[in-house]
Amino acid sequence: MNEPLSPKLRLALAAVGAALLVVLATALAPLSPGLQAYARGLAFAVLAGLSIMAVAFLVALPLGALAASGPRVIDWALRFACDLVGSLPTVFVAAVFWAGTSSTSSFVCALGVLRGLEQAWLLRCEIVRLEAEDPESVPRGLGRTPLVAFLRRRLSAALGPLFVSASFSVAWLMALDAAVTQAGLRPPNALSTWGPLLGAPHPSPLPALLAAGSVVFLTVALHALFRPPSAA
Amino acid sequence: MRAAIRRLFGIALTLIAVSVGMFWASASYARRPSNQQRSPFAAFPVFFNPHPIGVRDLSSNALRSIARGGRPAVAAQIELARLGGAALPYVLPALDTLDPHSRERVALALTPVAVRMEVASPEELADGAQAVLFWTRFWQDRAIDFRAASVRHLTSRLAERSIALRREDLIHVDTFALPALIDALGQVDTVDDVARIQRLNSVLAHITELPVPCPPGASIADARKIVELWWDFWQLHGTEYSALDGPRRLAASFVETQYGKWLAAVLRGGLGRTQSGERALDLVLQGLATTSFLLFVGLGGGFPLGVAWTRFERRSHRFATRVASAVAGTALAAIPCATFVRASAGPNAGLLSAIALVTITTAAWVSRHLARSTMSQSVSPIAAAFSVSAPLGATYPPFVLSAIVLVELIFQLPGLGRTAALSLASGDVNAWMAASLSLASASLLLRHAADLIRPRAISSQIRGLR
Repeated sequence: MNEPLSPKLRLALAAVGAALLVVLATALAPLSPGLQAYARGLAFAVLAGLSIMAVAFLVALPLGALAASGPRVIDWALRFACDLVGSLPTVFVAAVFWAGTSSTSSFVCALGVLRGLEQAWLLRCEIVRLEAEDPESVPRGLGRTPLVAFLRRRLSAALGPLFVSASFSVAWLMALDAAVTQAGLRPPNALSTWGPLLGAPHPSPLPALLAAGSVVFLTVALHALFRPPSAA
Repeated sequence: MRAAIRRLFGIALTLIAVSVGMFWASASYARRPSNQQRSPFAAFPVFFNPHPIGVRDLSSNALRSIARGGRPAVAAQIELARLGGAALPYVLPALDTLDPHSRERVALALTPVAVRMEVASPEELADGAQAVLFWTRFWQDRAIDFRAASVRHLTSRLAERSIALRREDLIHVDTFALPALIDALGQVDTVDDVARIQRLNSVLAHITELPVPCPPGASIADARKIVELWWDFWQLHGTEYSALDGPRRLAASFVETQYGKWLAAVLRGGLGRTQSGERALDLVLQGLATTSFLLFVGLGGGFPLGVAWTRFERRSHRFATRVASAVAGTALAAIPCATFVRASAGPNAGLLSAIALVTITTAAWVSRHLARSTMSQSVSPIAAAFSVSAPLGATYPPFVLSAIVLVELIFQLPGLGRTAALSLASGDVNAWMAASLSLASASLLLRHAADLIRPRAISSQIRGLR
């Protein structure tokens, strides 16, 4: 019982859980308009959450690695970009993106880039910290770490905080959606999401409870999925 | 010392860049087709005005339109009457360049200006030839009065003491005196200042034909409101009555923009005024207490709780306990839990619920990051909290500020987050900028504080490595 689950088993469990959630949503949808809204929001939450994670990883991995061990100007630019983006509560940036972008996919991509910048900084800090705390663990030649050694040892060891941050992507998106709705900043022609269920008064609490429960489930599933095998 | 100066310079530079970004955000949001309320400065470019327009351009355009005649001349006549005395130094010398009919049309279009300046009656200027003769003679006699220095002298004398003749002298130069009159308004602190505002307001209301009364028994607060009204008017229309030559034209490219207007309002003090007429600074001070209370209590309670949580999780020998702790931490860190609680708590749950939510969310978030960060290490969570303070400091402020905005909105708390959200939605630029800049400052301070508490030994090693 003390042994952690293997990555394959965790992936399988997460897939089964997500499938069950989709089946449940599809089965419940015809019962009431609220449950129909929940089912439609589930599709958006899963697809948009995964897209945000994918875009964020695409941005964060090269940028974070370059900022940590590449030219200094990239480090400076990333710090400045993070200072700039991080100075505002993300809810306002999201509201402006949503109002300004023409399609939902570009809105989701913009959020992914935003998330990617934050995660790139996390990755950069973790790599620099690991290098400072344990400089001998990765072989160096002519003052430089070989790329293969960097990717296999340093980068893989530094991915922990990035995965933690990534596991909150769905929750992050839904929180933004709810806050934007609550503040009255939601575009009138926006897709059907869980934002109105979570952020606006609703006659029946069941869809809101289901949506909040699903967010928690998806977050926990992602967190468990990203847990490295060495973790207890 | 150098490091401190560099850090302060960095904060200032970031705040300027943030203010530009936030202004762009506000302007972009205001451009939505569904937006009902528009800023009075919405007609200006946002950051750069390639063609700033002053009184010279406006009066020349109006002159050409009136000279050509036809339908556009009607609008141009109204424009010329509004520009008044400020346009005369450009219109009257140009009369000789027009053909006789055009000259008469322009001279007749200036009749409302002459009446307002109390230098002629409508009957005297009923005929085109008479009007041309009148304005030619007027400019020969009075051109010397249309000089900034003499008008400034007249204005300062009127501001000092009330004499009917001084008032008439200023009315005779009409809107040409506007820059000097607006400058002379100054601060209102005493009863003497109120009397000065009454005298200046009387001339200003006459030459602009705006109904801004300042009754004899006006209080200091009333007089201040009147000064604010005139400053608002000047912010919006100032360049229409000013000549943009040389460096002023260059400066106007930046000043005559939405951002420039906002910056001017900030430099005037009070961070500008909101749509409801309140000082934006007062709005910030009202919201600051709630938001900073939530932030510091959440931070002060949540961070140690998060460290203790990680410590408990790491020391627990039972796998089930560790998994339960991780699941609970992840679930609680998911900000929508705040909305989950809303279902049972209702909108009047109050400040205590909000504090509890921010604290628990912070603790859960910190514990998840520390758990992952310290997993492969033997250091204690407290040491780890310090060593990872820089990355946590970078990602925590936007997280916690978003959580605070959400909580303030849900529980209807009068904080900065709620103010910023509502003002962005309503297009209140000054309120939005004041509230969001305060939040940005809080975020920047948190980031730099986190950077400062990073252990110096590690910091110096990192510097050595880089």
